[in-house]
Amino acid sequence: MFKILILTLILIILITLGVGLINLVKGKSQNSITLFKSLKLRIILSAVLFLIVIFSAYMGWIEPNKVNL
Amino acid sequence: MDNKQLYYVPNGTYWPIIGSVGVSTLFIGLANQMHGVEWGMTVMLLGLAILIFMLFGWLGQVVNESVSGLYNDKVDASFRLGMAWFIFSEVMFFVAFFIALFYARNLSVPWLGGEGNNFFTPELWNGFSATWQQIAFNTPSTTLQNGTEISVPVKLVNTWGLPALNTALLLLSGVTLTIAHHALRAGKRNNLIFWLIATIFLGVLFLGFQVAEYGHAYADGLKLTSGIYGSTFYMLTGFHGFHVTVGALMLTVILYRVQKGHFSKDNHFAFEGVAWYWHFVDVVWLGLFFFVYWL
Repeated sequence: MFKILILTLILIILITLGVGLINLVKGKSQNSITLFKSLKLRIILSAVLFLIVIFSAYMGWIEPNKVNL
Repeated sequence: MDNKQLYYVPNGTYWPIIGSVGVSTLFIGLANQMHGVEWGMTVMLLGLAILIFMLFGWLGQVVNESVSGLYNDKVDASFRLGMAWFIFSEVMFFVAFFIALFYARNLSVPWLGGEGNNFFTPELWNGFSATWQQIAFNTPSTTLQNGTEISVPVKLVNTWGLPALNTALLLLSGVTLTIAHHALRAGKRNNLIFWLIATIFLGVLFLGFQVAEYGHAYADGLKLTSGIYGSTFYMLTGFHGFHVTVGALMLTVILYRVQKGHFSKDNHFAFEGVAWYWHFVDVVWLGLFFFVYWL
């Protein structure tokens, strides 16, 4: 369940980054604004994802990968 | 319509041949260095110096042509397309390594361990067992019956240590860069310069910790030759670190150009390109952090 949440957020982050790239390549003045907005959203979502994972691990809800012996 | 609106034909230039000479010299030096030839390193460094000289000269020329107003919309579009192809190759590059990591961890190593086909793998190699040594350092060696020494992972690297710290540092650099980007769009030059310097500083700090992490990993026996995990770990993090280095260099150039007053609120493609690149490199690290440690 948690993995799905993490993967979904990573996917959305990739999409915001992709939207940024498309607008970077188009290069009109409106695109410049969209580029900035998408990059801003990208960093906010990344920070949220990081905090969710760190907090969940701190609370003991999830654990980092183990050595598979 | 004036032809200048459609085409910009630059003067003939000697920079490409200098670049070719630089790259050839670099690799002749590198190849000979790897064969233990005495002059290998000297020639390699000479090639690198020529290459750096070419980059400064050629890119400097492009910047000068740009600020003297020689470029039109067509040239602008060509730069943007160049960026698109560059990023396409970068994405393919990292996707290939991520898929290699996935394939090794989830498919090929379990298959070698007998998953799915019940193959008795100890016959492949005496004492073989399918392990994924990820994040396992402190590996004392043990000797198999046939005398082969292998290392056995016994301890997890602390996810809360350098990996988490480095993730936080890169994320923070993304935040400072976004503030700088905003300052540029708002025309606040001093803020822009301050936050750009902060971003470069965080990037360099990240690299410093990454070097420390490599030191730990190496001392604990994780090397490029430590099986498939060692290989993918160093290839991915190594190339990522190289990209952070390049990104920090590009940000430094942007900082220099900001101080020269090359950018305006509405016209700053170079900044946008480098900013996007930095965000991209940050996302690659996020992918590494989550896929290696959490997923």
